Amino acid sequence: MSTARADPYAIDVRGLGVQYSLRLTRKTTMHQSFIRVLRRHEGPTHFWALRDVSFRVVHGESLAVIGPNGAGKSTLLQVLAGIIMPSEGIIDVRGQVSSLLTLGAGFDQELSGRDNILLAGAFLGIDHREMEERLEGIIEFADIGQFIDAAIKTYSAGMRARLGFSIATAVDPDVLLLDEVLGTGDQAFRAKSQVRIRELIKAAKGIVLVTHDMNWVTQFCNKAMLLERGHIVAEGDPADVVRIHQERSERARLEKAASVAALAG
Amino acid sequence: MATTDTTPAPKAAGVPERVVYRGTRPGPIELVAEGFRDIWSRRRLARYLVQADLKKKGSDTLLGNIWWVLDPLLQMVVYVVFVSILTRSSKPDYPLFIFAAILPWKWFASSVNDATGSVVSQERIIKQVHFPKIVLPLASTVSGIVNFAFGLIPLFALLLFLYRDRASPTALLIPVIALPQFVFTLAFSIFVAGLNVFYRDVGNLLRHLLRLWFYLSPALYSADQLAHLSESHPQVAHLLALNPFSIIFESYHAIIYDDVLPDWGGLAGLLLVSCVLLALAILFFKRVEPAFAKVL
Repeated sequence: MSTARADPYAIDVRGLGVQYSLRLTRKTTMHQSFIRVLRRHEGPTHFWALRDVSFRVVHGESLAVIGPNGAGKSTLLQVLAGIIMPSEGIIDVRGQVSSLLTLGAGFDQELSGRDNILLAGAFLGIDHREMEERLEGIIEFADIGQFIDAAIKTYSAGMRARLGFSIATAVDPDVLLLDEVLGTGDQAFRAKSQVRIRELIKAAKGIVLVTHDMNWVTQFCNKAMLLERGHIVAEGDPADVVRIHQERSERARLEKAASVAALAG
Repeated sequence: MATTDTTPAPKAAGVPERVVYRGTRPGPIELVAEGFRDIWSRRRLARYLVQADLKKKGSDTLLGNIWWVLDPLLQMVVYVVFVSILTRSSKPDYPLFIFAAILPWKWFASSVNDATGSVVSQERIIKQVHFPKIVLPLASTVSGIVNFAFGLIPLFALLLFLYRDRASPTALLIPVIALPQFVFTLAFSIFVAGLNVFYRDVGNLLRHLLRLWFYLSPALYSADQLAHLSESHPQVAHLLALNPFSIIFESYHAIIYDDVLPDWGGLAGLLLVSCVLLALAILFFKRVEPAFAKVL
């Protein structure tokens, strides 16, 4: 911990690039890859989801990453969480990382809520003794009553989301990665979860938040970054970056409308 | 750490305190060592996955876990009928002879089948959480052991009630043969689990391959019944000798059916080869693991 205090940053990213191969994607079969070998030089084989991305999150900073769909925001979080290896560049994330990506991802439909809490803890790498100690707190926060011993498949969507949120926020990480988790459950639970998120943000050394909700950006973040097509377009004060983003998406929308009009005309 | 009134949250164990990526690729020995460390540090996760698998397998049938006992018995009956129709003269106490091979084969085949889809079926969590994926095929193989253990109940029942004159202490050597079989099964499971992420045809292919493998192994017949074949085609004999299930089935037949000691040299060789294969399978898996989240 003493080294962490000496160094002022939680995340340091330099020259990050993430490349996807179009040759090996979802559900390839031998037949398809055989055809691709035959037609080796046709069409693009790779694309960069992120390129030349450099930034730093110093202690106490919470960075909002905004941008249009397909800009590479989620890929960035996956790289920071260690889920995807970068194709180039250097990444240095200091301290325990917790990623609140989509909630309840690992739920096993056949198992009870209680079993799923323990299973999720094991996936996250949390020591099982501490997880068992934490169990009652998680169940209480999720507020799903006696359903906790019923199979997850009997849960409503809201119950599932509440349980997922409750598990995911049971750790106090040094570096917190958040991806659009803020609008889960009903009104009462949303208020409760906002309080919890605020606590986590206060406790963490660095936060990266991906969201489409611009209120969250200006409310919770002291820095923002605009990504477009895998590149950083703007970085700095949240209000400024949000304005740039809104201007650019408005212009893109107008251009698109104009080209549609031109085609129609 | 927590600034709130709640108790401090647990810290993740087995998760590195610091994630640094500098684009260097670890060497093969380092990767294999890392694979073993992954397994050890996440043994609890493997245990939960096994428990979940066993809970599910028994839950949706009327007879539940009784099927683990009935299944190999029914399969034995099918093979006895089948072989009796095909060939006039079968071995004495043939059901026991077959049962001694069906039991370990079911373990292998079900482990490999489950392992094939083990990584692909966890697609969602692989994209959300960073964890060592090698525990997934490991869990499939280990839950196969539990199945195997339940199958020992009808085996000992057969020995004690129907074939009492064949019951002998040599049958207690089963774990000694199960060990090299486990290592071999684990190696095979890890390999196919990794390969199936990139080629979904693996599962389809394996179903038939496994069936062929079973019939080419001395399970329903003994190796000496193939003696005439190896006289006329020596290459075939060499090929059959390379089959790990030749040694495995012959050993089970020896201790359960013939009541003699198994071929220790063959078993030791199998264990050695299986360990090498396991290291190679882990190496392959660790090499392709970083691509899982992108490809799935």
